[in-house]
Amino acid sequence: MDTKVRFFELTMWPHMRAAYNLARWLVRNDQDAEDIVQESFLKAFKAQASFRGSEAKTWMLSIVRNTAMDFRRRDKSGVGVPLGDDGYEPKDDSPDPERVLLDQSRREQVRQAISHLETEFREVIVLREIEGLSYKEIASVLEIPMGTVMSRLSRARNLLLVELGGPKEVQHDLP
Amino acid sequence: MTCREAGPLLHARLDNELDMAGSASIDLHLSECHECFAQYTTLENLHKEIVAADLAYAPGMALDRKLAAQFLKEKKSRSRFWSWNWLSASVMAAAAIGVVVLTLAVPVLRIGRDTDAIATEILDNHLRSLQAVHQVDVPSSDQHSVKPWFQGKTSFSPPVPDLSGHDFILIGGRLEVIHQQPAAAIVYRRRQHVIDLYVSPSGGADFRAELRDLDGYHLLHWMQDNMSYWAVSDVDPSELRTFADLIRAR
Repeated sequence: MDTKVRFFELTMWPHMRAAYNLARWLVRNDQDAEDIVQESFLKAFKAQASFRGSEAKTWMLSIVRNTAMDFRRRDKSGVGVPLGDDGYEPKDDSPDPERVLLDQSRREQVRQAISHLETEFREVIVLREIEGLSYKEIASVLEIPMGTVMSRLSRARNLLLVELGGPKEVQHDLP
Repeated sequence: MTCREAGPLLHARLDNELDMAGSASIDLHLSECHECFAQYTTLENLHKEIVAADLAYAPGMALDRKLAAQFLKEKKSRSRFWSWNWLSASVMAAAAIGVVVLTLAVPVLRIGRDTDAIATEILDNHLRSLQAVHQVDVPSSDQHSVKPWFQGKTSFSPPVPDLSGHDFILIGGRLEVIHQQPAAAIVYRRRQHVIDLYVSPSGGADFRAELRDLDGYHLLHWMQDNMSYWAVSDVDPSELRTFADLIRAR
């Protein structure tokens, strides 16, 4: 079989769902997420010579993440982009937190809470809790030290607990 | 361990990131410190809640199709298709339709898609039968026992030639349902390899056998006299060809 096709099938394709999920959470918009996945796949395809058989999933997700960041930077500098809490107005967000709490199911509350996190906290939550990556894998995707993964995750969870109105923030937070 | 030391480790413990010694020492602390235990439980509940909420966004089929169109346009072989989940299979099916149309320039889209689905079904059926206690409903090396067995069970009469002179030993037959249609499965053996031949009535023009490779198995599919034939086995493809030629020439 064509080696390029094989590369696509074995290395890239199995991680398409994870790639889309990460992109979707990062840009909070379906169409942009699709564009990012397409662009990422193209980058990965072109860069296959540099893929040294490390973990394909973290390699793919790293490309997706960088592409999403570029995308957001590009979009922010563009015109007519509505700015939300971190530069994006999530399409699926209700503007009224009280209404959210009253009307939406708990599942939606959790989704909203994660969606409201700043990107650096949102991405660790998505990679850890939704994609089930290990600290080492997250460190590889985000290109940050493992200690930073731990502190961000800790901070992110405490922010979620506050947002979800549960018990007060866990005291033992990393500095 | 103090509470101050335990704090950061609560997350690592929750995420199974501690080694045995680390887990043991934090567990000891949790068993002694009510406050840290409460915090751990809170974090654990949050974790469970997020997992239970199943918050992964799934891509739409449009993205599948776009990617398949983008990356599989040079695709000639449809092997490896089948080991994946249904989603990838459907994507590949979309790509395969293109290949089928281009290479054969015959079938309507629907037929290409059906053929791919049937190939998967045939292979699954073959693999199931290999694992089953009995591979045949009528165990017999005698074509004159096997052929009549299908009468009354099917509306058609499958060919059951004696190919023992060519080292294809008849094992027997069984009735299967492939793609919601009754099909006769005739089972042959070539050395240690089992060959299943699926026969069912089907409209459409005759065509010569096409080889597919799926997951290390080979499938030959052809049409003859309004009957659809599928031969599947892990035997060498050239031997499977020989087998198909013998059946066709019966």
